[in-house]
Amino acid sequence: MRRMHAFGFVMGLLAILSLYILVISVVHNPEISNLPYYTLRTLARISATYLIALVTGLFFGLLATTKTGSMILIPLFDVLQSIPILGYFPAAIIFFISAFNGAEIGLELAAMLLLYTSMEWAIFFGVVGAVKNIPTNIVEAAKSFDLKGYGYIRHVVLPAIVPSLISGSTLAWGDGWFFMIAAEYITYGGKNYSLPGLGSYLAKAAYVYGDTNLAIVLLIIITILVVYINFLTWHRLTEKAGSGTYKPILRTGWPKGLALSGIRRFTHVPHIPRIHLSFGIRHAILSTPRRGIYSRLEKGMAVVTVIALIFFVATVAKPGIPSLDEIRGSLLIPEMANLPFYTACTLTRLTVAYFISLGIALSMGILAAEKKGFAMIFYPIYDIGQSVPILALFPILFVSLSQIFGGILGLEITSLTMLVADMIWYLFLNIVTAVKTIPDEIREVSQLIGMKGLQRVRHVVLPAIRPAVVTGSMLSWATGWNTVIFSEYMSYGPKVLWLPGLGSFLDKTALQEGNTILLGFLLLIMTALVIALDRLIWRRLLRKAERYAVEVM
Amino acid sequence: MKVLEVRSLRKVFPGERSIIALEDVSFEVGKDEFLCIVGPSGCGKSTLLRMVAGIESANGGEILFLGKPISGPNEKITMIFQHFGLLPWKTALENVRLPLEVHGIPNEEARKIAIDYLGKVGLGDFLDTYPHDLSGGMKQRVGIARALAMRPEILLMDEPFSSLDELTASTLRREVLRIWADSNLPTDTFLMVSHNVSEAVFMADRVLIMSPRPGKVVEVVKVDIPRPRTEHARDPKFFDTVEYIIRVIEKACGGKLPGCEINDGIG
Repeated sequence: MRRMHAFGFVMGLLAILSLYILVISVVHNPEISNLPYYTLRTLARISATYLIALVTGLFFGLLATTKTGSMILIPLFDVLQSIPILGYFPAAIIFFISAFNGAEIGLELAAMLLLYTSMEWAIFFGVVGAVKNIPTNIVEAAKSFDLKGYGYIRHVVLPAIVPSLISGSTLAWGDGWFFMIAAEYITYGGKNYSLPGLGSYLAKAAYVYGDTNLAIVLLIIITILVVYINFLTWHRLTEKAGSGTYKPILRTGWPKGLALSGIRRFTHVPHIPRIHLSFGIRHAILSTPRRGIYSRLEKGMAVVTVIALIFFVATVAKPGIPSLDEIRGSLLIPEMANLPFYTACTLTRLTVAYFISLGIALSMGILAAEKKGFAMIFYPIYDIGQSVPILALFPILFVSLSQIFGGILGLEITSLTMLVADMIWYLFLNIVTAVKTIPDEIREVSQLIGMKGLQRVRHVVLPAIRPAVVTGSMLSWATGWNTVIFSEYMSYGPKVLWLPGLGSFLDKTALQEGNTILLGFLLLIMTALVIALDRLIWRRLLRKAERYAVEVM
Repeated sequence: MKVLEVRSLRKVFPGERSIIALEDVSFEVGKDEFLCIVGPSGCGKSTLLRMVAGIESANGGEILFLGKPISGPNEKITMIFQHFGLLPWKTALENVRLPLEVHGIPNEEARKIAIDYLGKVGLGDFLDTYPHDLSGGMKQRVGIARALAMRPEILLMDEPFSSLDELTASTLRREVLRIWADSNLPTDTFLMVSHNVSEAVFMADRVLIMSPRPGKVVEVVKVDIPRPRTEHARDPKFFDTVEYIIRVIEKACGGKLPGCEINDGIG
């Protein structure tokens, strides 16, 4: 195994080096010789941020397992993670650019903050969930042997959280790549700022040079890098930790060799933990009554802290606290009248994208589950598809679609496509995993009864995957809110295009006018929407779906 | 009359190292007979049961049901499962109705039959309860009602009592025997897989002993204890039979029991 890994490492490195040499010698672009430098900068940026996220995630995660810690940190982080990351990014840019007078270090810090917030939650909730899931008998055994303090953490807690730390890291790392392009290429106040890196180079290839081919080449390079690094790091670590995350997924009576080896052989990315963790994260918060239903006090504290934080970030760029008149002046602009319309537009866009995703994911997932042949086609597609940093697709898609459909319609189609491309994976993966984990006995019963085709789908498959569909929906909406901010607004060369929506309103406010108070307000509205949808729809549906869920034996 | 004939059955699970699960397995089950298959875990007894049910295919040999080879699921052969196999999103009534409706029985009639059989197993008051809210014993009763409602000739049971607590299991064993003896029900041929030797001796007419992988028939023991066996469960003959079967399994396992999960708790 070790020799195979070493072989894979060397061969992969050689392949990537020759790819770089080939690309640099073939592509004509003034910046192409900087490609290795950009790669290293992006890698360094993501790695450094990941390390910070790991250390702080571990620290806060462990702190959150203490009694007082859990009362404050868990509701706080839960609310914080509901804020669409890309929404407060403009505020962070404004802050850092003015704090460092436009120096590159300010941009770099802003980019790292964006990446950090995309990474932190997976690690934090992974740690909390893992500590909570330490079996009672082990905790009791430790107590009976008088294991306390450091000894307890060293011998019980740390080993217990290693698997979820690894899967949390896998997720965080993937999210980092996802947000990379948004972090490296920033438009603010009508000006473009860019940090040297693969993401900004890709954006420039599309917007500045108008070279779609180069953009696609860069996208392929990024995807290969993601897959290669995953193979070297997380895949190996997952194997080493023997985290058993693969085990409960597959049972007999299922094209298991196929599904799993298909996934693993194709890209060597440990995907399964991703879903498990995502599910785990939600479960850590949702399923225990203590954490699921916070006390009024805890909720209030969290909300107050978040509001304070948002206003701090939003106002700190301006000297002092704004007066009431200033606030009124900032909020009561003519465009404010469009807010309900914008909200409706964004909700409609998300809903349409969600149902398209759900439709495709359901049919793909069920087909893959029922027919071996489909699984062989879908899993590799899934594998590569979800390794592509979707945000990087945006410029490429827009440039080609706007040529066919014109600016606004092109942007609308791009926006929907992006949303679907982003939302679909969580649904698909959740559905496939759920179909696979239908217990053998239930499969046998349906076989024995003689159910076929649609009958089987209706009576067995659909009800069995209901909880997974709900979980997948929650996750896909969460990521959809981010993508919507990114995809409703497009500054393309000298032109600025936007679709009516909350996301573009937020972008315009932040990027063109620099109205920080309005920005904070819009962010608050968006967060409130996310939380409201989560509580009013998803958590209810999940509770309902789980009542009749399959008990895994 | 032979209801079921199994002839030189062979089963191989393909893979990197293919596993021979069953090798040259032959036996017969007569009408009105209660046959129990015992053997160490992994000897292929559950696979054998699934092959009789028509949901697992053979790699050699054949299984005849009333003289005709079995090629797929047959509505006259039904099964109850170790973990009950109930659909959690359907009520007790819906669970029992489902197979009837799949086989084309009109809704109203299916409903009537389902209610009737749920009543027979003592669940008349729990028609609209979800499995989630039923105890283990009640869940298995739903499983039994579902299997009987199809009015099958053969009832297959895959360790039907092993996920129940001992008291519940003991009650249900007697109930299954009562159903078996009930001449109003068309289901008279019972085939059960168990790893509990006392349970086998308590219930079966004959006990078929299988060897570890590859599973072969080692011996078929006729249980010569009069019924009802509740009255003879303390007889020396009962203990001797249990003892004898355990010896045979031990020998088949190469003289030692580790890994052979033989449970000799009193049924």
